[in-house]
Amino acid sequence: MDIISQLQEQVNTIAAITFNAFGTLQRDAPPVQLSPNYPEPPATTTVTDDATPFPEQPKQLSAGLVKAAKQFDALVAALPLSEGGEGAQLKRIAELQVENDLVGQELQKQLEAAEKELKQVQELFGQAADNCLNMKKPE
Amino acid sequence: MATATYPPPPPYYRLYKDYSENPNSAPEPPPPIEGTYVCFGGNYTTEDVLPSLEEQGVPQLYPKDSNLDYKNELRSLNRELQLHILELADVLVDRPSQYAKRIGEISSIFKNLHHLLNSLRPHQARATLIHIMELQIQQRKQAVEDIKRRREEAQRLLKDAYLTLDGQ
Repeated sequence: MDIISQLQEQVNTIAAITFNAFGTLQRDAPPVQLSPNYPEPPATTTVTDDATPFPEQPKQLSAGLVKAAKQFDALVAALPLSEGGEGAQLKRIAELQVENDLVGQELQKQLEAAEKELKQVQELFGQAADNCLNMKKPE
Repeated sequence: MATATYPPPPPYYRLYKDYSENPNSAPEPPPPIEGTYVCFGGNYTTEDVLPSLEEQGVPQLYPKDSNLDYKNELRSLNRELQLHILELADVLVDRPSQYAKRIGEISSIFKNLHHLLNSLRPHQARATLIHIMELQIQQRKQAVEDIKRRREEAQRLLKDAYLTLDGQ
């Protein structure tokens, strides 16, 4: 996968971890009193059969979020962005086009010369074969 | 009943009554659509460009510059996102009624991140093209060297054969 797609996947991962982190916070956090005018929130009679105690899961998700953000920074640092931007890229493409044409012409010239030499060798071989035939004396 | 099982054709079929004798008697088809149009509730456009953030109703959080420093902007958006997430956590504790504004800001940052990454696609395409052309040039040069070497080898063989013939 190219690095831009990896970055997009990483952004989606950060979004998913953020969503899960706040989801677990809203689900597991104990209630707090917002104002003295409201009645006291009910006592924390949470069920104690949780596989993970309350502070652990948000800690893990927060650590995962920070790790995902650092991974995003690492991917950004690894982006192979060339200097100069669009103009430099287009100029480079034009230069490569010219060089490609020159090398193509050179290749064509070499191919034509090779084909000519091949014809010469074939003619010489034909002549040599004819000479060998002519050199044989009739029995 | 409103509709029958096999309703009659629409009334404008009569406009094509003389089409077989005279094709010009029938009305012309509508011209192709240019610009934006709505199809099943979604906005589409015939121009194949990436719409800007303002066109999508999202505030743009990075400068509108052709010489944009993508890496720095991506890093700053990432840090701003982390700060907004922390701020959302604080707001949920102290002022829970104001969560919607924070979530809107976080959503805006995510959209900016994705838009900025999609803006890198043309650059990536040009870089890929440069890479392909460099490979092609390298292959052609290799082919030229290969042909030269084989031509020299053939000439050397011919020269040796001439020497052998002269030696007879």
